[in-house]
Amino acid sequence: MFIKEYIKEVYQGVSSLLKGMKKTGYYFFHPSEIITQQYPDNRHELKLPERFRGEVVMAHDDNNEHACTGCTACELACPNGTIKIITKMDLTPEGKKKKALDTFIYHLELCTMCNLCIEACPTNAIQMAQTFEHSVYDRNKLTKKLNQPNSKIREGVE
Amino acid sequence: MFSFQQWAAQIHSFLLEKTGTYTLLIECIIIGILAISLFAILGLVLVLMERKVAAHIQIRMGPNRVGPAGMLQTVADTLKLLMKEGLVPRLADKFLFNLAPFLVMMVAMMLLAPIAFARGVQIWDINIGVLYITAVSSVSVIGVMMAGWSSNNKFAMLGAMRSGAQIVSYELSAGFSILCIVVLSGSLQISDIIASQESGWWLFRGHIPVLIAFVIYIIAVTAETNRAPFDLAEAESELTAGFHTEYSGMRFALFFLAEYINIFIVCALGATLFLGGWMPLHIAHWDGFNHLMDWIPSSVWFMGKTFFLIFLIMWFRWTFPRLRVDQLLNLEWKYLLPIGLLNLLLVTWIAIKGWHF
Amino acid sequence: MMPASAIAFYLIAAFLLITALLSVTGRQIFRSAIWLLFSLLGVAAIYFWLELNLLAAVQIVVYVGGIVVLIIFSVFLTRGSVQELPTLKKSRHFFALLAVISGFLFTVWCLWLYGYRQKATDAVVADIRTVGKQMLSIEAGGYALPFEMVSILLLASMVACIAIAMKLPDSKTTNTLK
Repeated sequence: MFIKEYIKEVYQGVSSLLKGMKKTGYYFFHPSEIITQQYPDNRHELKLPERFRGEVVMAHDDNNEHACTGCTACELACPNGTIKIITKMDLTPEGKKKKALDTFIYHLELCTMCNLCIEACPTNAIQMAQTFEHSVYDRNKLTKKLNQPNSKIREGVE
Repeated sequence: MFSFQQWAAQIHSFLLEKTGTYTLLIECIIIGILAISLFAILGLVLVLMERKVAAHIQIRMGPNRVGPAGMLQTVADTLKLLMKEGLVPRLADKFLFNLAPFLVMMVAMMLLAPIAFARGVQIWDINIGVLYITAVSSVSVIGVMMAGWSSNNKFAMLGAMRSGAQIVSYELSAGFSILCIVVLSGSLQISDIIASQESGWWLFRGHIPVLIAFVIYIIAVTAETNRAPFDLAEAESELTAGFHTEYSGMRFALFFLAEYINIFIVCALGATLFLGGWMPLHIAHWDGFNHLMDWIPSSVWFMGKTFFLIFLIMWFRWTFPRLRVDQLLNLEWKYLLPIGLLNLLLVTWIAIKGWHF
Repeated sequence: MMPASAIAFYLIAAFLLITALLSVTGRQIFRSAIWLLFSLLGVAAIYFWLELNLLAAVQIVVYVGGIVVLIIFSVFLTRGSVQELPTLKKSRHFFALLAVISGFLFTVWCLWLYGYRQKATDAVVADIRTVGKQMLSIEAGGYALPFEMVSILLLASMVACIAIAMKLPDSKTTNTLK
């Protein structure tokens, strides 16, 4: 019936609006829910969300070893040419030639933090760090070399 | 007990003694100064309140840098607006372009006259108070349309037309819900309406129909003051800023101020009609309780109720998404108006039978 | 010295007349509408001056809030409302002047006939209760019949509006492309 439909519509409309107001009202009366970070003031106790992406880093262990095989999967995955990988030929103890990483060049000024390189990496050699205070006076300083000097690939990583 | 009425009487007799025939003129000037300073303070407080409420509803902090807890933010904003250059577009109708913000402001100022701020604090207790407010508030739409047309700008024009259609149609349902209370209290005079709520506010005494009238009133005045979710006239995503796209500096500030003054006035009227104005919370036959409530000053009651309604309207703004034009007109003509008419009939029935408490 | 109320009256009257003149002589249609608005507000101010508060409020609601808004809406929807109107031909000036003068003379004649006799009775209190009672009274001097007639007229016009605006489902094919 028409009247029944009409009243039902009004009831549903009002109840859905009230549901929305309940949520926002809850937030209003619970200031502990506020997620704003007072950034420069709380610089030391800053709490960033788990999935915040600041820059790409390459993890090195105590023996100055990383997990990058120089496969260039990240370079191919990058949508805007942020990563450039230079490889070299190493000699293995058996005397065979093997492709290895020479320099991992990372252009922070081009990076959009899209996370595609990290997903593309087969050996989890690179990760997203949470540092974000990247401002410098010279743009050249943003071009970074991610592998540390004299570092080499960890044993067993293929 | 502390009362504004005594002060007013003292000042009046003092002036009568000192100045004689010019008393009326001097009193008019005093009232004018008081009204303008009330406007300035209201503008500062309400804008800050809006920003704080918006922030807390959206889980943010809001302004917190200028002054303690951001209290002086709006003062800084006002200073900025004062120093800004007021641009007038080259092909605008300069006379009407300059006139429009003042017209809107003047209407807001005229609306202040019959509002009762506390026991005995009322500028003009006109015998058609409620009708006066509905009548004068319908003039403000002309200021908006004037602004929209004289800017010589498509966005401004579209915003003005939308605003016109919206205000003209929502005035009806606001009028019907006001009529409900007029029927119950049997008078259009603000002081009579407040006096009729001596034994309890109409919202509690009038059963469900008055509750419905209250809800319709709040929705309709939100639309009439062009606020979200009914802010189609200045929909940022579609019309940049609607009718005040071309305004800058102090002229823009006047529009902005008038918006907040209008919110204050419609909320004050809502508080007067449904929540008893300055009348403390009384429950019939509970004499001790009533006496206790009388100890809270009437101005505190009035301001508390008004600011509660203002908060409600701000709550709406930051919760609901904006309506489309057809949804807006559907809401008015298919829902609010028929329900309001039926409701008015019910309220009249209740008033005739004397079924209210 | 003139009393303050007389000064107020002459100020309002001057405002009313000047805005009315500007409204009919203006060559920009939107400005004319705005001047009309101000002159109607001037009439409301005169009513307030006469302490006919109800009539003043009704004047504002009906004329300013209703009719002028409608006029402005139609100006908005008119093409070329930004340009100035062309000035009229000389012959039209003559007839306009004639119409104005005859209207003026008619008004003066009416006022002359009224004669401003001194009334012994008290002034009528234009209280809203009195107005309402009079409006619905069926006794002598009551306005119940005209009131009901106007209500029927309004109802008829509303029904007509709906009938015009209604979309008939079967006439879809016929009323397009005509």
